[in-house]
Amino acid sequence: MNRFILILCGMLMTTLSLAQQTEGVVTYQRKTYWSKIIARMTFLSQEQKDRAAQTWKNDDESKEKMKLSFNANESLYTYASEQGETEDGQYSWRNADLVLYRNFDKDKKIDVMEMLGKTYIVEDSLHTPTWKIGNQIKEVAGYICMRADTEDPIKKQKITAWFAQDIPVPAGPERYSGLPGVILELNLNEGDVIIEATGVAFRKLTPDDLKLPKLKGKKLTDTAYDALISQHIAESMTAHRNPFWTIRY
Amino acid sequence: MKNLFLLAVLCLLMGKLHAQSPARFTLQGRAVDTSAAPLASSTVMLLSPRDSSLVNFGRTDEKGAFSFKNLKAGNYILKISFVGYMPYNQLVKPTGEALVDLGALKLKPITRELMEVVVRTAKAPLTIKGDTIEYNASSFKVPPGSTVEDLLRKLPGVQVDQDGNIRAQGQEVKKVTVDGKNFFGNDPKLATKNLQADAIQKVQVYNDKTEQAKLTGVEDGKKEKTVNLELKEEFKKGGFGKLTAGAGPASNGISPRADAKGNYNKFDAKRQFSVIGLGNNTNQQGLSWNDYQDFRGSNSFNWNDNADFGFSSGGRFIFFGGDEDNESLSIPVDGRAGRGFSNNVAGGANYNYDTKKTKLSTSYYYSQTRLQLDAERNRRNFLEDGSFRTAETSGQTNFNANHRVSLRYEKAIDSLNTIIFINNSRLGNGNAGLFRLQEQFRVNGTSGPELLSTRNRTNNRTIAATFGSANTLLYRLKFKKKGRSFAASATYQINTSDGTLNLDATNEFFQATSVNEQLRRIRQDQETTSLRSEYKASLLFIEPFAKKFFWESFYNFSLRYDEVDRNVLDVADVGNSRNDSLSRYYRNNYIYNRLGSSVRYSYKGLNLAVGLAGQQFTIDGRFAVDQTSSAFRFIRRTFTTVVPNVSLNYDMKNNRYVYGGYDLNVRIPSSRDLQPFPNNANPLFITEGNPNLLPELQHGVNMGFSYFNPGNFTNFFANLYGNYYVNQIVYSQLVDRQTLVTRSFPENLTGGRTIGSYLDYGFPLKKTKATLRLNTQLNFGRNLTNIDSVRNETYNQSYNIGTRLDLTPVEWLTFYGNANVGISQTRYSINTGQNQTIITNNFGGDLNLKLPAGIYLTSALNYRVYKNERFGFDQRVPLLNVSAYHILGKAKKAEVRLSAVDLLNRNLNVSQYAGQNFVSEERVQTLARYFLLSFTYNMRGVQAKMRRENF
Repeated sequence: MNRFILILCGMLMTTLSLAQQTEGVVTYQRKTYWSKIIARMTFLSQEQKDRAAQTWKNDDESKEKMKLSFNANESLYTYASEQGETEDGQYSWRNADLVLYRNFDKDKKIDVMEMLGKTYIVEDSLHTPTWKIGNQIKEVAGYICMRADTEDPIKKQKITAWFAQDIPVPAGPERYSGLPGVILELNLNEGDVIIEATGVAFRKLTPDDLKLPKLKGKKLTDTAYDALISQHIAESMTAHRNPFWTIRY
Repeated sequence: MKNLFLLAVLCLLMGKLHAQSPARFTLQGRAVDTSAAPLASSTVMLLSPRDSSLVNFGRTDEKGAFSFKNLKAGNYILKISFVGYMPYNQLVKPTGEALVDLGALKLKPITRELMEVVVRTAKAPLTIKGDTIEYNASSFKVPPGSTVEDLLRKLPGVQVDQDGNIRAQGQEVKKVTVDGKNFFGNDPKLATKNLQADAIQKVQVYNDKTEQAKLTGVEDGKKEKTVNLELKEEFKKGGFGKLTAGAGPASNGISPRADAKGNYNKFDAKRQFSVIGLGNNTNQQGLSWNDYQDFRGSNSFNWNDNADFGFSSGGRFIFFGGDEDNESLSIPVDGRAGRGFSNNVAGGANYNYDTKKTKLSTSYYYSQTRLQLDAERNRRNFLEDGSFRTAETSGQTNFNANHRVSLRYEKAIDSLNTIIFINNSRLGNGNAGLFRLQEQFRVNGTSGPELLSTRNRTNNRTIAATFGSANTLLYRLKFKKKGRSFAASATYQINTSDGTLNLDATNEFFQATSVNEQLRRIRQDQETTSLRSEYKASLLFIEPFAKKFFWESFYNFSLRYDEVDRNVLDVADVGNSRNDSLSRYYRNNYIYNRLGSSVRYSYKGLNLAVGLAGQQFTIDGRFAVDQTSSAFRFIRRTFTTVVPNVSLNYDMKNNRYVYGGYDLNVRIPSSRDLQPFPNNANPLFITEGNPNLLPELQHGVNMGFSYFNPGNFTNFFANLYGNYYVNQIVYSQLVDRQTLVTRSFPENLTGGRTIGSYLDYGFPLKKTKATLRLNTQLNFGRNLTNIDSVRNETYNQSYNIGTRLDLTPVEWLTFYGNANVGISQTRYSINTGQNQTIITNNFGGDLNLKLPAGIYLTSALNYRVYKNERFGFDQRVPLLNVSAYHILGKAKKAEVRLSAVDLLNRNLNVSQYAGQNFVSEERVQTLARYFLLSFTYNMRGVQAKMRRENF
């Protein structure tokens, strides 16, 4: 009898957990390794790259906290706090606009991004990248994740994502999505930028969690956005400037 | 017609293909575990077999069943994954049926040990290759110096017995390979006992064919357990270095020139060791910033090492006036060529050790310079009733050598406590010989005739030994409560110097009324020992409140102790006698206490702080002709002031930034300015300290705005500032009307001020090809001094307008041009007839060319114009440097270069300045035209420098 109750409880809990698993908030830490990015600049000599790497050995990474609110159909990715601040919280700064909204049912996205001195709104269908599924598993934030790889043809970056099969929502951080589970870790260009989940909280989302700000800015399609970015990168490289000071890596 | 035919054939072919198999099919199956229990909610993916890209995905239901409907005909890889199981892979080929049912598909579990130990604890990714599971061994922590055997013991499913025999998954390991190759024969222990664990990246355990099977090619069905060790990529380890050596022949009266510089740098992930050395007679005295960064590595710049806590922005520092004639304790960095003629030698070594918790950096650096300086100076001093001109010709040879040692140690005791210790020390010695001829001409009224008044010949020899050391201990504590922090610091600084001056001066006074006063000879031996030690302690506490506010409080204590013992002997042919008017013994305690507090608001890029501090200075000094004197004079003064502080920083949308603030800087008089004795090293210009000096207060207001548009590469910067001085330390003068000997001494005057602004606007004429920058700088100042006890107000107005043009049209040609026009007007209240207009213009251009056959040409022209029309001063100095170089070899690691420095042979170091009550100009003979043929070898490769550095 006891055993029966236990099994019943167990079943209830599993169904409960299954029902909950498609709605919640993932918090991420986004680390940018600047000396690695500097080393990608085609116009710098090896000497200059090494000099930057040796000099900034201790202060190489800059950290940001991000969050992804998701349910089975939608997701919204933005900063975890309304302002950027130092680790001890003693100094704060303004965050550049960044709200990335996805609707998987309607195959639609709205990206609000401040870059190149303006706020842009990219509105288009999802245009999920072609993911290659690998044979590696690892744990991220307590979840066993599987590896998937793709490429950013515009920024010429290798992208590695680790998605959790236990959270069956195709959401993810930054502009990446479309895998059989939530992406808990994203590695841009072999460790130049690493976005790693620090926690997953399952809860009912409030309307505020998925609320977009007032859409004010220049509207773009994906094609126009890609053209803008690739033109900026090409121009910056010609002008011997690091393009990623002014656009998100 | 032909096209139409092709199209028809194509249509036919397509139709045929279509007819062969159905266009769409359904794929179904069931995921089960090894005991046939269904695996519900497993992830089922369909991948393209070509590149395993994801085509479709779904989930299994409660029964473990899945189905994909409406699949396009073609091959797929079916991949099923379930947490804790090896992912299942199967190639699916369409059978031609509309439904493909794969039935029950068994997933094998991953051993619990692997999941728990490798994935959960060591956080290492598992790679599954068929039956082989591979993981990253570097995730397993073993103490430094451990062997692979120690590492293997830690790995799940691996046992190592006392004799070093290895068993994996219960089976004996027969073979250990390194990067897939056999390691010294067949004894597996040889590799595991000898290899360092640090060197291992991955460990793979798999079943390999026996040697027998490999040799014969006949499968015997037996498998041997094999461990493969994959070595780490050595990308974080390396060394690089650079060597440049050049020489040039003697020409136009200049002896041969030579220049050599080399550095070597060895590093791995934690350590960095570097050496640098240089020697030249081409006026290159210090390291360039690039050399410095290569030398110091991760210790080149340290933020947060400031131990004198204060207001969080502006006025954080307390200024201790001047550098006290001492050279800095840190390694001198200056890429510019010096003036005069100098021979330089320098070299040093640096070691850094960096981990997340411990950072250590030590360096030693030696440098010496022998400088030959021949100068002509002209100085006009204005008096109430006229003026006088001093014409000076001097030649001096200075030798200076310094040993510098530095140590910085930072230790994060835990996540909340950090300790930093910093030591910078310098031991120096130097000597100098100076010959100087001065002639003074008196002018009565504004433009009377010049009358020779005084002539002075000086021969000075100086020997000095100096030592300086600064030691700081800094402790920082963070609290669990975010934003609350505490810091404490203690600093001890010491500076000693021991010097001798042999003074031999002959002064002729042509206006003297009696024969006795016409000729005066001064021969003296002056010995001065001085000690300056400083003890400092500071506290800082920051408490956050109401989410967006921080309350910051600080306390500073400082005690500066000065001791000077100066013995002056008059040298005569018969015997030396002590000069009591110049000999002094002086001791002084300068105590400083400051307590301050401020409130800062910080939210979304708006930082506004308002604060107030109270500070008190106590001077407690005494002096007499020597230590044993009974007639000591005492100085006791206390000075209290209240220091307000306001600062604003606002980071606005779209790269716009506004800042502003008000602060009050307090400058404590330097030791030298306090010392109550005259310095007659130049008998015509005697300087004397003033022990009664109070700290100088500088009220400062500044505001600025900056804007950058990365879309069109436009930027704008504006800055406006104003200062008002209370108790400004100024140098007043008393001029003896008969001898024209000037006595200069510091005193406190209130009322000086400066107002200035800087504007800079840059925009592309053609994006990425041509950029223009315009800037203006305006300065208006009022300086006060007492000349012969009469208040003189000097008004300065300076206007500078500049422009820069960067042309980078093609890869093989770049040009950087600049033009600056500067006008400076000076008005003197004591003698308005002497008002001055000084013009300093500067035009320059750098041209870089890439010529055929891998030859590069670079040239720089700098044309300077110095004018003061009132005195008919008009000096023009064009400087042209040209060099051609060729990069050698396929690896591009070497370069030959031919340089011509100052091709027009015009180098003269000129400066002109209008201050307080004088106008001066100076011309220094400086190393002119020389040629250099040099060779560079750079282990990292030489790159042609066509552009200015720009990150």
